[in-house]
Amino acid sequence: MNVFRHLTGGLKELVRRDKTESELSEELNAYLQNAADAKVQAGATPEEALRSARLELGGMETVKHEVRAVGWEFAIEVFVQDARYGIRMLRKSPLFTAVAVTAIAIGIGANTAMFSLIDAILLRPLPYPEPQRLIVVGTQQRGRSEMDLMGTADFLAWRDHQQSFEQVAVLDRAGRSFALSGMGAPERIPGVGVSANFFSMFGVAPLKGRGFQPGEDRPGAPGVVVVSEQFWRDHLGSDPAVLNRTLTLDGKLRTIVGVMPAGFRFPSRRPVDVWAIRTLNPPAARPPYGLVGLGRLKPGVSVRKAAAELNDIAAQVAAQYPSSPDLVGVMMPMKEWMVSDVSTALLLLLGAIALVLLIAVVNVANLLLARATVRQREVAVRLALGASRKRVVRQLLTESSVLSLLGGVIGLLLAYLAVRAFLAFGPGQMPRLEEVGINSGVLLFTFVVCVGSGILFGLAPALETSRPSLSDPLKDTNRSSSSASAYRTHRALLVFEVALALIVMIGSGLLVRSFVRLSDVNPGIQTDHVITAAISLPNKYAGPPQITQFWQQFLEKVQTLPGVKAASITMSLPPNLLAITNPFTVEGQGYDRNHSLQLAEEMTVSPGYFRSLGIPLMKGRFFSPSDKVESDKDPMIVIVNQTMAKQYFGDKDPIGRRIQTGDPDPSFPWETIVGVVGDVKYSGLDSGPGPTLYVPYNENGWVMWAREMYLVVRSSGSAPGIVPAIRTQLASMDSTIPLAQIRTMDELLDESLVQQRFRTWLVSGFAALAMILSAIGIYALISYSVSQRTREIGVRIALGAQRSNVLGLVLREGLQVLAFGLLLGLVGALSATRIMRSLLYSTSATDALSFIATSFTLIAVALLACYIPARRATKVDPMVALRYE
Amino acid sequence: MPDKNTALVQGTLDMLILKTLALEPMHAHGIGLRIEQISKGVFQVNPGSLFPAFKRLERAGWLDSEWRATENNRRAKYYVLTASGRKQLKSETRDWKTQSVAIARILEA
Repeated sequence: MNVFRHLTGGLKELVRRDKTESELSEELNAYLQNAADAKVQAGATPEEALRSARLELGGMETVKHEVRAVGWEFAIEVFVQDARYGIRMLRKSPLFTAVAVTAIAIGIGANTAMFSLIDAILLRPLPYPEPQRLIVVGTQQRGRSEMDLMGTADFLAWRDHQQSFEQVAVLDRAGRSFALSGMGAPERIPGVGVSANFFSMFGVAPLKGRGFQPGEDRPGAPGVVVVSEQFWRDHLGSDPAVLNRTLTLDGKLRTIVGVMPAGFRFPSRRPVDVWAIRTLNPPAARPPYGLVGLGRLKPGVSVRKAAAELNDIAAQVAAQYPSSPDLVGVMMPMKEWMVSDVSTALLLLLGAIALVLLIAVVNVANLLLARATVRQREVAVRLALGASRKRVVRQLLTESSVLSLLGGVIGLLLAYLAVRAFLAFGPGQMPRLEEVGINSGVLLFTFVVCVGSGILFGLAPALETSRPSLSDPLKDTNRSSSSASAYRTHRALLVFEVALALIVMIGSGLLVRSFVRLSDVNPGIQTDHVITAAISLPNKYAGPPQITQFWQQFLEKVQTLPGVKAASITMSLPPNLLAITNPFTVEGQGYDRNHSLQLAEEMTVSPGYFRSLGIPLMKGRFFSPSDKVESDKDPMIVIVNQTMAKQYFGDKDPIGRRIQTGDPDPSFPWETIVGVVGDVKYSGLDSGPGPTLYVPYNENGWVMWAREMYLVVRSSGSAPGIVPAIRTQLASMDSTIPLAQIRTMDELLDESLVQQRFRTWLVSGFAALAMILSAIGIYALISYSVSQRTREIGVRIALGAQRSNVLGLVLREGLQVLAFGLLLGLVGALSATRIMRSLLYSTSATDALSFIATSFTLIAVALLACYIPARRATKVDPMVALRYE
Repeated sequence: MPDKNTALVQGTLDMLILKTLALEPMHAHGIGLRIEQISKGVFQVNPGSLFPAFKRLERAGWLDSEWRATENNRRAKYYVLTASGRKQLKSETRDWKTQSVAIARILEA
């Protein structure tokens, strides 16, 4: 069949309606004439002939109608006709239209907004050529599930021996920013270190200049960088001659060789302004692990095969470093790596908002049902005049589709605003946010949801209204039978609605409870009056003496500032700014290679650190400025946290005991425990207790890590108030060093919960919406029922029923619906909230309190919604009610 | 209204129209008459099914039409078989023959 011909034929007829119509009339007339002529020839009189020809033809209009109905365009014509009629009907009852359209607009708007997020983050392929071939590679301790970073030794071995990838590149996870100086005030700009073929692996062309070239990551090559389009615009004034300009990053001169287009952002959680070459020197040991391996698979090579190869290589590396822990190689598709941690939360939000839309749909369905009683006469007339039930249902569904499309258009506008607001005020730190927008895929989703919900909320009322009972509605006096069945449908829908609302509310109850618990977690420090900032020293502080000297002088200056109680530096900050973890072994507690090595959070701090954060001393002592630790002859000292002391020493005194850190190696020096301090959260407020090790920042072997440190200052007055003074002191020592990421400790705690807070607020908002919608639904049902029963109630009152009896009578109806709804909702919630398990902090997915509290909230609101119309019922004046008859 | 005996076997009207037009272009009334005559009055074609069939066949590209004068000097729309219509007729005829032979065999078995 020629689809094209059908399409054009239909379109032609739609455009030239009048011409085809007149041609059809002409043809039918010609047929009549011909038929009549034939009959005249057969001997009939002209009048008789014409008459019998007409009879043969049947109704002229009927034939025309059947001819028209052949093409597909006819369906459109009918739709337009029905839609026009629908719009007329909607304009006749503006209040109903406004309420219904608003409910649908909110539901569809929220769903569209949420879907546009999910579409951009989870569904769409990554914006690189052949993204399915991009793979992320890391390591994993045997028996654990999460993917860790790679060490240099692992990466180099993999790069040199793998056969499965066209290209492999590396991303340095450790350094995430650079100090930019020489362009006004020094500042820290976000950036990462990558290997030379990073850009060619992605296959994204630069906006200007070039990406890196092979060999530029060899040790000793001149330092080159590629900058982002935004950096080029904001910092370099979109200079057309940007190539070969230089930047001073971390004190070193770097040449700009390229500008990446605005759409390219990797890693994608936060902005990246600079990609710099990360040089990989052959390593002395397997740790530290700070690299992310990236690769583009050769066409046709499976991830499974590549992973098997990676594991062989990792085994060889493990053989080279016999004392290293048992690490295996793991790989996963790049998209999964980027989005897997947000996908559950996003799907949960979509699920919740989809339920809210369903509730809105049920509400509109109930509104339509209430109207159905009004429309029944009109429909009965149509049916009586010969319309088929199918035709009537189709017309009513078209009307409800018009309603939902109207809601959809407004919803789309709301969604656009919501997405803009989300991007401006929502939690950043989500992957792929730069790709979020309302595009054709999202529009299609909205359209499908619109039509779907139009049919969904139109179907029950349409079937109800078109119920073929011809005589009753026309008579008007009897309104019992058909309205009783409408009322049953109405109630069933409402049970469903209450159940849905309860599910959303319980979901939000669980999130709120989990969030409250999370906010109540004791981070282990005194958070008030503390200001923190990041400071990193450029490379010109080349060796341990320069670094130590700088920090000593600087801390002395800050300490003597008025209002400063204590000042210190640290490598990691609570609650979630942990820099590194390190394996360790306790003396006398032998290392079993078959078990994964225990990892401790390890950080270097200056002596005043514990005092400036108010971390309590449990045993032994803090570090002291008089500790001699700078030479490799000095004994190494370490402070451990309470959990570590308890886990490894039990009741015995840990002071004076010794441990080793890093890979177990008999030749490594031993570190002596001098103190035990309280537990502090460094891996997020939701992390469990684990061992933490503190070492002096100036200790031999650690001091080179002390170039990038956080400053922690406890003040007596307002913490932010002393920032200018600190900045002056820093500038007086070295004007090229920026004071970056200035936050109070309370702000850091707040920021660490931003994702959880956001989704808790959002789901609570949805739950409130669900609750209000279902309360409106109940209110509408009871009001409707009261208005239908005014006469009955009047009779009852006239016969002596007490007001309380009437109240009970009406309330009972509402309570029945409520009870069924709650029951259904509880059952649904028990299975639905299970998917939330991974999002909850120390809260069970079947947490009884959340279930009970939300149920009672819903009961209270629902009772109120029943009570208002029920009270009206008790005010019925029997005289008026009876006269109404 | 044709009664049971004169009703067309379902789906055969299109084929009969194509066959009728295979000889020469004709107008609607002529086609109906021809089918009735050749079938010796077994089939009577209702205009209510004839005209939708024309539109269907035209849409499919099997028929063309043009206005011409009739033998009685009236204007009428004449339908003409197109090349693809001729092909369609051939294949429908072949199918029909196979099927009717099969049905006849079943009925006689």
